[in-house]
Amino acid sequence: MNNTLLELKNISYKYKNNLILSKINLKINSGEKIALLGKSGSGKTTLISLLNGTIKPTQGEVKLFNKSFEELDRKQKSKITTIWQDLRLIEDFSAEQNVNFGLLPENNFYFAFKNLLNISSFKKAHKYMQLCRLHNSIYDKKIRKLSGGQKQRVAIARSLIQRSNILLADEPFNNLDPKLITTIKNLLLENVDKNNTKKYPKTVLVALHRLDLLNDFDKVIGIRDGKIFFNIKKNNLKKLHLDKIY
Amino acid sequence: MNKLKLNYTSLSFLPILVCVPIGYQLINNIHFGGFKLFQEFLISAFNPKIDNEIIIIVINRLNETILIGFFSWLVSIIFGVIFGILSSNIFYKIFNIPNFFYCIIRFFLTIVRSIHEVVWGILLMQIYGINFSIGIIAICIPYIAVNSKVFAEQLETIDYKSFEFINQINASKFSSLITLIWNPIINTFKNFGLYRLECSIRSTVILGLFGIGGIGTSIFLSFQTLNFRELWTYLWSLAILIILSGLIFKKIKFNTTNKILSIFFIAVFLTTILFSFSYFLYFIFNNNFENFNSFSSLFKSSSDLELFAFLKLILETIILSLLSTGIAISLPPLVIGIFNNNTSKIFIKIFAFLFRLIPSPIILLILLTFNNPSLSLAALTLGLHNAGITSKLLFTNLEDQDRRNYIAMKSLGISKKTSWLLGLFSQQAKSYLAYCAYRSDIIIRETAIVGVIGSVGLGWQLQESLSSFAWQEVTIVLIAYSSIAIVGELINGKIKNSLT
Repeated sequence: MNNTLLELKNISYKYKNNLILSKINLKINSGEKIALLGKSGSGKTTLISLLNGTIKPTQGEVKLFNKSFEELDRKQKSKITTIWQDLRLIEDFSAEQNVNFGLLPENNFYFAFKNLLNISSFKKAHKYMQLCRLHNSIYDKKIRKLSGGQKQRVAIARSLIQRSNILLADEPFNNLDPKLITTIKNLLLENVDKNNTKKYPKTVLVALHRLDLLNDFDKVIGIRDGKIFFNIKKNNLKKLHLDKIY
Repeated sequence: MNKLKLNYTSLSFLPILVCVPIGYQLINNIHFGGFKLFQEFLISAFNPKIDNEIIIIVINRLNETILIGFFSWLVSIIFGVIFGILSSNIFYKIFNIPNFFYCIIRFFLTIVRSIHEVVWGILLMQIYGINFSIGIIAICIPYIAVNSKVFAEQLETIDYKSFEFINQINASKFSSLITLIWNPIINTFKNFGLYRLECSIRSTVILGLFGIGGIGTSIFLSFQTLNFRELWTYLWSLAILIILSGLIFKKIKFNTTNKILSIFFIAVFLTTILFSFSYFLYFIFNNNFENFNSFSSLFKSSSDLELFAFLKLILETIILSLLSTGIAISLPPLVIGIFNNNTSKIFIKIFAFLFRLIPSPIILLILLTFNNPSLSLAALTLGLHNAGITSKLLFTNLEDQDRRNYIAMKSLGISKKTSWLLGLFSQQAKSYLAYCAYRSDIIIRETAIVGVIGSVGLGWQLQESLSSFAWQEVTIVLIAYSSIAIVGELINGKIKNSLT
């Protein structure tokens, strides 16, 4: 059975005449946990932006659930969520309001309006903020008043509350201390929680810098100068592979 | 010889050169026939009429002014928000609507905005007759367009990354829109919306001079009867109203997380929209347009405008705008720079306040007591009134400015005036000029008011054409006015962009 969720077919991407990605072919199957490695400027963020449909390729085709982005309806598109490297939180709103933004796809306009007026329920948001080890004293604080690590966890909570099938994360462990990194990594990669209930997301692609965090991933993709140098099972990763991309 | 190099500081002072031709014409036109009247006017400022009768009139007239001002402000802010959203690119991006509609709405609003509320007022009065609601409608029409421009500009500063995030999570279009625009709208309302209420009250006063009602009508009537003591009672009561409203606005703090307050605002928002629509329909279907039977009369009526005379009027309007802008830009820094001590500052602030307070048609009428009507006199009037406004901004900015450079320069033995110029003003010059570019847009539109009173430019022609119900002429004059204002706005927009 074909369980490919996301597929890039012969993708190239140019920005202002500079070739950022060149002839990328990639398949992401359901349930895979993929680590994306590469130096800064190698094209990791661009690849993630192509995968979530924020930018369109100059050449080639991106398919989600075997359909191009144009063919997908809003609900199908919302099955993919992203933790951006620059977080993309809305500064003037509180932490809990920002987390609630993750619930917008499954709710109507009235919910969005109540959230802006601060009269919606934050129960769900608080649950996910708690999972991300955010203290309840910061729930109603505006984003601009939070520390880098707190902002990072608000962005993660916002992505998790969306309960999407696919999570794309661009260096999600930035600004976090080692203990928190382990907690957040488990949160992103474990499919089953303590009560043995199925968790979201099931499929994860994380852009990383730190090699010591590769343990729980199934596959590793190495990217350099806009080209995929390797796409292998994590157990097959050798120093030789890493030398090619760093 | 070294080449003259212009910088923002010198550019702020250079326009004062307009005072040379203005001064020359004013000196030639001086007459002493009404000097006594002018003297009487000044003395009456310290001896306003105060008795029970006039206090009751003042209260009633101020009530009318506040009502017209408040309702026109409320409607223009709410519809300004709606049209601001409709004329911002974020709306079209979210809903994937072709930019064609964006251009049409913007163009339409630019035309509406280019005509001053007094012109709208005179026009509507001529068509519909004098009516309380005409004042509200006349202010609302251009104010909605002005407010929508400000809201749209703020919406276009929304961080593109926030837009990308909202777009990527695939929320419904309306949810995405409201989430993105909520804070810019609230912040613009806090920073700009309350100031517009003051503008709205000022416009009500000016429209009152043309018969709409309120304190403006009383001011005009007392001026016509040369009852200066009464005139000053009205002016001082207006001053108290403006000062009080300013103090109240400073105290008001909006807490957008207050649930009851938020629900109250939404209720006001929806009620105003509903009420405005109902009134609009009532206005359309329940009036007998006294002097304007059909649009076909626009084309049937004849026009006696001669091309050469008409071009001369256009040129006069442009020159009037340029001369007034020159005074409004350069006079405040020049006077503040020359009389740079605490006592002088108090006097300058009082004069600036009076120039803002006294409606420009009244300033012009006062100046006419000792000078013949001329382009220079109209330019001086408009320049002084707007200098009152630009000087308020300059004072505020200079007071907020970091004074370390100024103190350091003074400690080096540099004179107080030079230290002020280089250590304080030079750092404000760029933003001051940017504001003046915005102000000159308003000056172009205000030429209509002084034109009507001072027999100058297109304003005078408009009054003449309206009085004789020559609708074709009115249309031509309005098109000319609108074109000058739009071209002026485009030029000033370029200047503002290069300064910010």
